[in-house]
Amino acid sequence: MAALGARWLLRPGRRWFSETVPGAPSPPASPLYPPVVASITAKSKAAKTRRLQRFNQRVHAAATVEEKLRLYGKLQRPKYMVYPQTFALNADRWYRSFTKTVLVSGMPPRAAAAKPPVAVSGATPDTGRAPKPSAKAPAAAEAPGAAEAPEPSAGAAPYPDIGELRSLACDALLQESFYQKKKRPFLYRDQDHTPGPFLTQLVSTLASSLSGRNPLLAASSLDLNPKVNYYWHHGKEVVVHGHRKGRVDPVRFQIDDNPHLQIRVPKQLPEVVPLESNLGDVPVIDHKPSKLPLFKKQYENKVFIGSKVADPCCYGHTQFHLLPDKLRRERFIKARLEDQIEVVYRSNGIASLFAWTAAQAMYQGFWNEADVTRPFVSQAVVTDGKYFAFFCYQLNTLALTSETIKNNPRKNICWGTDSKPLYDVVEDSNVKGFNDEVLLQLVHFLLNRPKEL
Amino acid sequence: VFPGVRQAQWLTKTKLVEGLPPAVQGIMDNPALGLQELEERAKHMVSHARLWDTADVAPRRERYCPMLFENLIHICRLMSGKFPSLSKRMLARNCRIAATWERESILLQVRGLSGILMNSMTPIPPVASKEEILATKEHVLETFYPIAPTIDLQEVNVYKELNDTGQCFRDGYPYSHPHTLFFLESANVRTDRFRPEQLRAKMLMFAFGNALAKAKALHGNDPKVLEQPVVVQSIGTDGQLFQFMVFQLNTTDLVSNDGIKNLVWIDSDQNLYERAQCVPEVKKRVVTKPAGISGFQPDTFKKFLALYLHGTV
Repeated sequence: MAALGARWLLRPGRRWFSETVPGAPSPPASPLYPPVVASITAKSKAAKTRRLQRFNQRVHAAATVEEKLRLYGKLQRPKYMVYPQTFALNADRWYRSFTKTVLVSGMPPRAAAAKPPVAVSGATPDTGRAPKPSAKAPAAAEAPGAAEAPEPSAGAAPYPDIGELRSLACDALLQESFYQKKKRPFLYRDQDHTPGPFLTQLVSTLASSLSGRNPLLAASSLDLNPKVNYYWHHGKEVVVHGHRKGRVDPVRFQIDDNPHLQIRVPKQLPEVVPLESNLGDVPVIDHKPSKLPLFKKQYENKVFIGSKVADPCCYGHTQFHLLPDKLRRERFIKARLEDQIEVVYRSNGIASLFAWTAAQAMYQGFWNEADVTRPFVSQAVVTDGKYFAFFCYQLNTLALTSETIKNNPRKNICWGTDSKPLYDVVEDSNVKGFNDEVLLQLVHFLLNRPKEL
Repeated sequence: VFPGVRQAQWLTKTKLVEGLPPAVQGIMDNPALGLQELEERAKHMVSHARLWDTADVAPRRERYCPMLFENLIHICRLMSGKFPSLSKRMLARNCRIAATWERESILLQVRGLSGILMNSMTPIPPVASKEEILATKEHVLETFYPIAPTIDLQEVNVYKELNDTGQCFRDGYPYSHPHTLFFLESANVRTDRFRPEQLRAKMLMFAFGNALAKAKALHGNDPKVLEQPVVVQSIGTDGQLFQFMVFQLNTTDLVSNDGIKNLVWIDSDQNLYERAQCVPEVKKRVVTKPAGISGFQPDTFKKFLALYLHGTV
């Protein structure tokens, strides 16, 4: 009944409504409830994003670079193996699209303008050396060099003497191909017989004779047959078969490269153009990478520049690549694919240099979520023993994954030349048709150094 | 079975002097060369070869021994910025050497792959003075009676007496004087490597072979005392222990046991570093041996560099 009900309600001890005096404002304590975020383990897109964010935070918070690299490459999945030296048709367009690289032909303008006026002799193309016994032969080679003596010595002193460098190069070539008696080359291993040792000799003697002019070379480290590896994601695809069928995965790539020779230095090379420059377009290819052909395998995700993180020479200067016998010019000419000859050199230059510069950037702590703040520059020479092609690469961005590439206007840039012969033919202790331009470009590459040195 | 160097001494009619010759010591002690700054670089090179070269944990000897040699040669070659005459050198790999001589009516021949040979355009000046050379006349070679000195040597029928370093290089080669031989014991398995004593004997035999071939090329095949002694150096290593040797050929008259003898200076068993730890050794949660190179001896590198610079400085 209503009266009974009311009396029950009005009994003391039961506050119907209480008046709380609004005293001090409630302390701004931590929220009463934990933040409402997506789950970590659920099978949903939000959970996937949250897991990715947690992974990114873990990598950002890693204490050392080795720990960062370990976490970056921890998850192993099938990935495309990208070979820098490949016979695939038009491989350089594909590689440019994988690495977001713009190809500019010719060397960067700074290189063309600042070429040191090396004391060039009015030498005849035929820099032969007569086969006279020991003491006479250097005199014969010095004869074109002696013709420069009338030139003012003030002009010659600060600049390298091209005659001397030419004689060094010819000596290396003649020793490997003529003077030293060797057995016949192994089947299909012509490159190990003459061009390989010639390249090693040439680079080591040139680098040591130029080290007086380039203090960076004097502090450099020369690697023979190093390994360079890099692992990255670019683009998205749907998993085709297997227990993960139907999920959207990034496309993973790995480059495992073996340059013939590389020079690493403790200081970085200067930038060629500013970080945000736009020098061209990156080709867009609508097909899957497996159409190149490119094949997938699952193995360790390595990032390596040639030596571990603890090495003080952690920046790259120049790499030298030797093309294997499988990719020699005569084979392409016989198969009527002459235009693919330059493609071989270009794809080798782009892929190897991208892997090297990107690995150098990762050694400094940058990765695709923490993009580079300064450009990384390296150089490469690709040769088959006679024809030389020169490449210079500037890495402006590491952010190539599908999330980070959306708002990223930066592109990597590669300058490259066509392949030119260093000499025409070696006959009987004579080098015929020696091309000074190629030697000059090589010398210029080796003399490259930061501005303050 | 025998300490190999003693046997090799008899076979090549050589007198042994311990330690390096004073000319090389002089290069080492010369402060103008700036050898101190190179110590830091040499230590980096050792660390690179032994620790940092590979993406695996530790490189194997087959990889680190040649890599250490290449790195040390790279530092030495970079000195040609200071001394331009150093660029008149050329390395030759995998060259075969053959030399024949008679020793008390026994015909001996040395043949084989002599490792890595560095040639130069100019010969090394003689290291011992004329008095020292004449003094070797008094020296009596150690014989091993009753053991024949040719024990442990392989006896073969030689049909052609091959005699030149020109066997490795054709005529007209501008870098015609052998300067230094390098021997790298880089086999992974210890039994495949030469022991230090045997390595020294091998170094002596090959240095002698090269010097003899050069002397015969310069002065003809007749046995005689040389006016201008031929000097060839030799360095052998297994990646950690170094053996240094300077050999001076004074005479090609090797049939008799008396007269002027050849000279060899040997500095043996020089450690470049004590140990190279790739992963720190931890016993009971305490780091007992930290990672890195410990016990680096800069003197060994200085000797290497001094032998490299010998002849041009």
